Amino acid sequence: MAFKKPTPKPGSAINEVTLGVGANAITLGGESVLPFYSFDGTIPNSPKIGIEVSDLGFENAVPGIAELYAGTSTPAEAAAKAAAVPGVDFVCLRFESADPNGQNRSAEDCAVTAKAVSDALGDSKPLVIIGCKNNEKDAQVFDKAAAALEGKNILFVASKEENYKTVAASVGLAYNQKVGAESSVDINLAKQLNVLITQMGVDGKNIVMNVGQAAAGYGFEYVYSTIDRIKAAAQNQNDTTLQMPIFTPVSSETWGVKEATASAEDMPGWGDVEARGVSMEIQTAVSVLSAGSNAVMLRHPKSIEAVSALITALA
Amino acid sequence: MAKFVVIGERIHCISPAIKKAMDTKDPAPILKRADEQLKAGATYLDLNIGPAETGGEALMEWGVKLLQENFDNVPIALDTANRKAIEAGIRVYNRSKGKPIVNSADAGDRIGNIDLAADNDAIAIALCSAEGVPGSVEERQGYCMTMLERGLEHGMEAEDLWFDPLFLVIKGMQDKQSEVLETIRWFAEQGFNSTGGLSNVSNGAPKHIRPILDSTMVAMAIQAGLTSAIVNPCDDRLREAIKSADIIKNETLYADSYLEI
Repeated sequence: MAFKKPTPKPGSAINEVTLGVGANAITLGGESVLPFYSFDGTIPNSPKIGIEVSDLGFENAVPGIAELYAGTSTPAEAAAKAAAVPGVDFVCLRFESADPNGQNRSAEDCAVTAKAVSDALGDSKPLVIIGCKNNEKDAQVFDKAAAALEGKNILFVASKEENYKTVAASVGLAYNQKVGAESSVDINLAKQLNVLITQMGVDGKNIVMNVGQAAAGYGFEYVYSTIDRIKAAAQNQNDTTLQMPIFTPVSSETWGVKEATASAEDMPGWGDVEARGVSMEIQTAVSVLSAGSNAVMLRHPKSIEAVSALITALA
Repeated sequence: MAKFVVIGERIHCISPAIKKAMDTKDPAPILKRADEQLKAGATYLDLNIGPAETGGEALMEWGVKLLQENFDNVPIALDTANRKAIEAGIRVYNRSKGKPIVNSADAGDRIGNIDLAADNDAIAIALCSAEGVPGSVEERQGYCMTMLERGLEHGMEAEDLWFDPLFLVIKGMQDKQSEVLETIRWFAEQGFNSTGGLSNVSNGAPKHIRPILDSTMVAMAIQAGLTSAIVNPCDDRLREAIKSADIIKNETLYADSYLEI
């Protein structure tokens, strides 16, 4: 019998999800091959970089970040500066001020800020809205902000096991925005959450996943294998409940670990604290992108420059 | 490896309602059964028009078009002894969701149906018997190799031959059940796809017993390596067994709602 060269079966494609509208729209996902394997098939949309903006600014920011936001007094001004950083594809506005254990700003006030930030960004970059990690408060903030930004096609992160019913109903169904489904390094819950949100009536093609994050060295291997397994299910097993693109908010983890915060005085052998923080952010971002993440959130302009250069070189 | 392929058996002319619908070309009862089976997780739909000695070609064409137009080109197993009817069905068949299945060929009088599948780039269900019930695992293996050679000679890929070990009724042929499972294990060792009319095993058993026998048999057969079966997907117990087997074999990722998707 003559030898027949086996041809690998093409994988299924990740959903394409567009964020923003008109001139500022970007698209995540669409690939049916392994990350950066453009020689195996098409990658219609390269991974995207979001820049993290806190509505309270960053306390004790390293010089590179402090300089970027110098002279700004409102989140809208900060967002406009952030959007102009080279390599940035979208802006992530984090409502730290909404935290009931902190300033506890009202959902109505947050919505006013969200509108101002969206107006300041205009046609430049799309906006992603991130909560304060309090499930109940996030649901309230997202509801008001989603209403204020109707028609802007905003991604809200996140809808979790504890609050998906309210968040998905408001963000996804009432205001037709994009729903960020968040699970913490749990492949089964990641799938379950997508199933539950779609069973409520949200189109699976309007969902982006955050399947968990960690700084490199802090249980990161679980994050890596989670993303890897989810992409394998989506592409090789054609699991439509897992074909949503993945967004990983890298910076909120990496800038909190001791490598990025311990001063040079406390850790004389470790070198400059800013360089360490940037290095941590780059290493973590590159790792999640190589696992299959479709978008990352970063904070430092130097990290954004490096990760952007890597994406451009490999795309 | 891949998820277990369920071929829904409920569009069958032995059912009086379907027979009448086929005779009068009434779409409603057929569409209803198709819808129920697809919602219950069927991948393929079997379209059994019986011997169909007269009017078989027109009936198969009508049935294929009816099902594919209403259910997003659902893939179909064309089930009849009338070869011309199978050819007629394939002529109007849309392949976007999967190749047509010729149901069925055997190693006896119906071996020509393998040629038919080969000529039409279709999948063939290849029944490992020639006449009557095969007497042993070895006999089934012999029939299997005969049909494999026939298919390869005609340019088929081995993966397009879905070998049927011939499921037998438990009542009366209890001692043969292990042979069927052994045959399936042997298919799996060769890397062959397999399928069969699994609910044969419970023929003649009381109605409340049948799902228990069928679902246990399907679980045992899947573990032996069965890759597909022609079954009633609306049998909940059976459906749950198949979905759970896919989970246990890691063919699909677990989620708490896995039975609902």
